Amino acid sequence: MLNRIFGLETEYGLLIHEDRPDHSPTWFAHQIRDHLFQVQRRGLLDLHHRGHDEPPGNGGFLTNGGRVYLDMGHLEYASPECHSLSDVVASDRAGDLLIQQAIEALGVSDHVSLIKNNIDHETDATFGSHENYLVSRRFPFSRRGLAPLLTFLVTRQIFTGAGRVGAARPQDAWIQMDRLIVPRTAVGARGGVNLPFQISQRSDYIVNDFFEWVQHNRAIVNTRDEPLADPNEYRRIHLLLGDSNMAEYATALKLGTTGLVLQLIEEGLAPQGLEIDEPVEALQEISQDQERNWLIRLQSQRTISALDIQEQFLDCGIRHCQGQDEETDWVLAQWASVLQDLRGDYQKLVGRVDWASKLWLLECFRESERLDWGDPLLKSLDLEYHNLNHAKGLYYGLLEEGRVPRLTTDALIQMAMDQAPKNTRAYGRSALVRHLLGSGEAMDSDRSGTPEGLFPAYVINWSIFQVRGRAPFPMPDPFRTYLDDVRAHLEPIIV
Amino acid sequence: MNYSLMPERREGPGDPMPKSPSPLEEGGGPRRPDTGSPDKDSLLKRMRKVDPKQAERYRQRTGE
Repeated sequence: MLNRIFGLETEYGLLIHEDRPDHSPTWFAHQIRDHLFQVQRRGLLDLHHRGHDEPPGNGGFLTNGGRVYLDMGHLEYASPECHSLSDVVASDRAGDLLIQQAIEALGVSDHVSLIKNNIDHETDATFGSHENYLVSRRFPFSRRGLAPLLTFLVTRQIFTGAGRVGAARPQDAWIQMDRLIVPRTAVGARGGVNLPFQISQRSDYIVNDFFEWVQHNRAIVNTRDEPLADPNEYRRIHLLLGDSNMAEYATALKLGTTGLVLQLIEEGLAPQGLEIDEPVEALQEISQDQERNWLIRLQSQRTISALDIQEQFLDCGIRHCQGQDEETDWVLAQWASVLQDLRGDYQKLVGRVDWASKLWLLECFRESERLDWGDPLLKSLDLEYHNLNHAKGLYYGLLEEGRVPRLTTDALIQMAMDQAPKNTRAYGRSALVRHLLGSGEAMDSDRSGTPEGLFPAYVINWSIFQVRGRAPFPMPDPFRTYLDDVRAHLEPIIV
Repeated sequence: MNYSLMPERREGPGDPMPKSPSPLEEGGGPRRPDTGSPDKDSLLKRMRKVDPKQAERYRQRTGE
């Protein structure tokens, strides 16, 4: 895909299969992280404070150029910078496998399950799947310039949503109305335990259109200006409204269509006149629409379906982007295919669209066991769709049946667990991590700490690193590998 | 996957990566799945093994 760097950050849930467990999910998250870094030596733990909630030892960079760390008690994996959809899918799945294999190596897989979802049905907790897209600094990052992106994001959930049983409880479901954030029930919206199923996990938790925070007041577009690259050249579009996808196809289509829409906006070619009247309300109404008509009202007072809006973005993409490269053409063809199938029986989407796969599984089970939607077992099945244990997870059950299209291979995922993409900055970072691991610097990663007043053996961040005794090494261009320069920089200390 | 296509691959650690299946190649990447229903029996069997109380046991914190 043209001029695009992609990245995914995934927060995982840990399910402890005991009534009165001796340890919390966070305790297990610490064990898994320590196993990855200290036993398997997958990377280097940070020696410095990255932030107030990221003390030394909280996480670190991996040999594949990505990161594993703890965030608000959750294990989180950030993929390395990727320059293609194929790479980001393989790198994302590599994170799943790294953590799942660590659980198995620790011998706890019988009573700890790794869950790649975004909600807790019982506590209403939510945790994220964040997307990152590098754009030019010239990107029109204003309310007006972002209007087409807002419309696209509100409506893309019809093929990117992972689906869920029920809804967030009303007291926790807030929406923006006329610049005020109000409880969803105050405007008569449906919500709570009576909702059988909705197509998105995260839509109930998005309460704003634009905002810079991520933990509160979550917005459709996160406006924090943190490019993690040369701020004169680049901006990072950071999105936190999406669901964690199990289907490789859905992951690629989500990132691919969003990447193309960003390109259309950058080039001033995005569809105009599609501003949604109340985007946050529309986001939740589309997700919760049991008839799947997905109708929304535009600021022009016209009513239009999410499918028709997506068709307009697709048409625009075909007109302006078709033929620019192989991945773009794949995205356009699959986008068209999915939209066409969404106009018919949702079962055509099983295997490609997560909410459709999950809904089909739940409907099969309900029919077989004669359950109604209020049965709490359905929430447990909802969770099990996201279980990353291949022998148990329901997504992997569908995969075993040969009905889930693959976009990568198991061999490439295995490789991406250890190696970085060779066409981005992650490659140079990977070389750095390997050299420091090999040179014994990793021994310094013992969290007993660095002697007071001394610079730690290394400090590694996304766009810069420094090794003790050497000058800082900036890596401001994510499209460069910096490999030769990194090696030259380290040469005197390479063992 | 672009790993194997990059000119710098010879300098990288490990063996060159194999080329991933192209999405557009026959038998390669995504294809429209058969519209018939997957084998329900094995999937139902898998679903019947799920701990019915596991959603209550999940107990996650809000993250980000």
